Amino acid sequence: MVEFDAIIVGAGPAGCACAYTLAKQQLKVLLIERGKFAGSKNMWGGALYGPVLGDLSPEFLKEAPIERYVKRRILSLLSEESYFSLESAVNNESPDVPQDGAIILRAKFDRWFAEKARKAGAILANGVQVEDLLWKDGSIVGVKVGKDEIHGSVVVACDGVNSILAQKAGLKAELNPVGVKQGVKEVIKLPLETIEQRFNIQGNEGIAWEFLGKCTRGLPGGGFIYTNKDSLSVGVVVQLNALLENKVKANDLLEDFKRQPVVARLIDGGTLVEYSSHLIPTYGVSSTSRLFSDRFLITGDAAGLVLGTGLILEGANFAIASGIAAAKAIVRAKETGDFSAKALSHYQRLLEDNFVLKDFKTFKKMTHVLENPRLYSTYPDLVCSLWHKIHTNDGNPRKSVRQLLKEELKGRVSWWQLARDLIHMGGSL
Amino acid sequence: MNIIVCIKQIMDPEIPTGKFKIDPEANRVIPSEGIPPVINPFDAQAIEVALRLKEANGANVTAITVGGQDVEDVVRYAISMGVDEGILVSDEAFKALNSFVTAFILSRAISRIGQYDLILCGRQAADRDAGHVGLMLGEMLNLPIITMAKAVTLSSDKFRVEHVITEGYQVYEVGMPALITISDEIGPPRRPSGWGVIAAAMGKEIPTWSAQDIGVNLSDVDIKSVRSETIRLFIPDSRRKGEVIQGNNVAEASANLMARLRADGII
Amino acid sequence: MSVTKMQDKLAVNKYDIDNDVHILIDEDICSRCEHHRCIYACPADCYTLENEHITYSYEGCLECGSCRIACDKGSVKWILPRPGFGVCFVYG
Repeated sequence: MVEFDAIIVGAGPAGCACAYTLAKQQLKVLLIERGKFAGSKNMWGGALYGPVLGDLSPEFLKEAPIERYVKRRILSLLSEESYFSLESAVNNESPDVPQDGAIILRAKFDRWFAEKARKAGAILANGVQVEDLLWKDGSIVGVKVGKDEIHGSVVVACDGVNSILAQKAGLKAELNPVGVKQGVKEVIKLPLETIEQRFNIQGNEGIAWEFLGKCTRGLPGGGFIYTNKDSLSVGVVVQLNALLENKVKANDLLEDFKRQPVVARLIDGGTLVEYSSHLIPTYGVSSTSRLFSDRFLITGDAAGLVLGTGLILEGANFAIASGIAAAKAIVRAKETGDFSAKALSHYQRLLEDNFVLKDFKTFKKMTHVLENPRLYSTYPDLVCSLWHKIHTNDGNPRKSVRQLLKEELKGRVSWWQLARDLIHMGGSL
Repeated sequence: MNIIVCIKQIMDPEIPTGKFKIDPEANRVIPSEGIPPVINPFDAQAIEVALRLKEANGANVTAITVGGQDVEDVVRYAISMGVDEGILVSDEAFKALNSFVTAFILSRAISRIGQYDLILCGRQAADRDAGHVGLMLGEMLNLPIITMAKAVTLSSDKFRVEHVITEGYQVYEVGMPALITISDEIGPPRRPSGWGVIAAAMGKEIPTWSAQDIGVNLSDVDIKSVRSETIRLFIPDSRRKGEVIQGNNVAEASANLMARLRADGII
Repeated sequence: MSVTKMQDKLAVNKYDIDNDVHILIDEDICSRCEHHRCIYACPADCYTLENEHITYSYEGCLECGSCRIACDKGSVKWILPRPGFGVCFVYG
């Protein structure tokens, strides 16, 4: 009987990072992917932030199929009549510093990443579905695929937001529509030159552009545009429960978003080449979450390691970091031959020590601020309108900003409420 | 019993129609970005027949394919279905081949394998639907050929083959060795089991034979002897028009439909 | 770009459609449901209300899993399509 040191279920960023790290340490690793190829079931916004990929191997930054690097980040507040933007840009000549963010298409990236794990020595099995965990005497000893039983010392669930395994192992409750966001996205092909022209970028420069306000009809969420090499990723992310409660379809919001004059111009003449959707686990990992048990670990989206603070919606970097941490804990367990929960708890300690769980702690309060509905309708409208009026000269003597603000607030939100919201927002940062 | 199955990697037939592009100048299909090729579904059915024969009588099944550098996956797929051995005949020179040259290369590679009792091919490849290679290969190897089999069984050193014809099927018996092409009436082939895929991924390296290994020099192949040529490759106009034929009752509507079909020369 | 109809959107995607369905609903439960949350959950319009009845298709499923957690009546049985089938993203 073949016995693997580790069976990794799901060849996304977490699974590939884990498999790669373990294979490099000469462990016998099986990486199972349900899609025809790694990435074929995956989608995101999106950009990968932070140095995690380079941590795995400096070569990866050069080799990975990265569409563009984020040269400018834009946040726009959309109202009926106008929009208000904040923009930041890196000043260096070419934005290839990994911290700036790498714009990536997942079907290409995950496939490349899985191939790296395979070349490092992991056994990559595409088109295989794990239906259940394999138990013996109350302990996890592997996984079930169809009629076959595959044995391993430890199983790592990297099976994404709808993780079956995390639930079967009793580490996760069923997802709740309040705790997840639904993302819908179109990939729209445009000539490379058109993209460079419309976004004022060149070479490997790219744009990450987020929108708040009218694009979600005031529902908690936002719109986004990322520039790929010769296509645009255009999408909307909304809390699932808000869609259900308000009887709104995410796709209708996406169509609205595409009709916004600012967006319509950018995608004009483009050809739709893919329409995709995914759930994003934004319920947040709390200090009581347990990401390990006997001979079992959960990582990435399966563990809920997505930071959805509004300012930041990141998951892939946490996924990769958690995959690496899981691998480190497994290597240690293999040395002592002890794969018990006690030994594997090292994994969660590693996450607590590095940025992963620290980030979640830092932004813990932010999730409450994000529940404030005024953030998605009242304030974007208010800011847009105020900014517009400050800059409008209609021939009459101008009013002071304070006077204008007072007029804008009237009927929308009280001074008292505004002050409270600002204090909350400030406090959560 | 040694069975050889010839398999081909083709462009995925499930490519969305809007993404299927051709280069009319070069008479060539442009591979669709990001969609990996698949095993020719008819060849998967030939593998299915080989595996059924193996299960019933015991056999060693070898899958062989010809192509450029990127066709290993199709052989791994065959192994994950349950084939014992795979052989990859791969050479940079083998990238764009026509039926005749492919059959010629296969005949040389199969001669190198040496011992075989049965060669199985799919009825045709689902990309060009020509169905030439199996027949040409049988001729080159000087084997009896039975085409379009919907069932193959072994009884006392002879293969009993049900050959599909328009009206039904004919039953043939053929001795060893023989070449049989498999019809899709055989039914859907098995899908690889989870363990099958894992075992194939863990399996040994697939032997790769170059042109030199099998003694083929393409410049020696008389291109004039290539008996088929693509004159024009095009995507047919697929504009559809719907029309509802009316009538006061079903009988009248049927009569109107018949009249209309006759008027249009369809029946 | 003009508004795109859902069927045209899904038509650009690569699918390997299985004969086995991976979505099942309990029509009895659906007929008594007052809010049909599945309609708003599904980004591919797999669920539609026709003459007060929920009808559904599985072919265009994007495998997000929203319907599974949106249905609070226990009607929707959504599982992953068999391996090798379902949607195949080529951009993602």
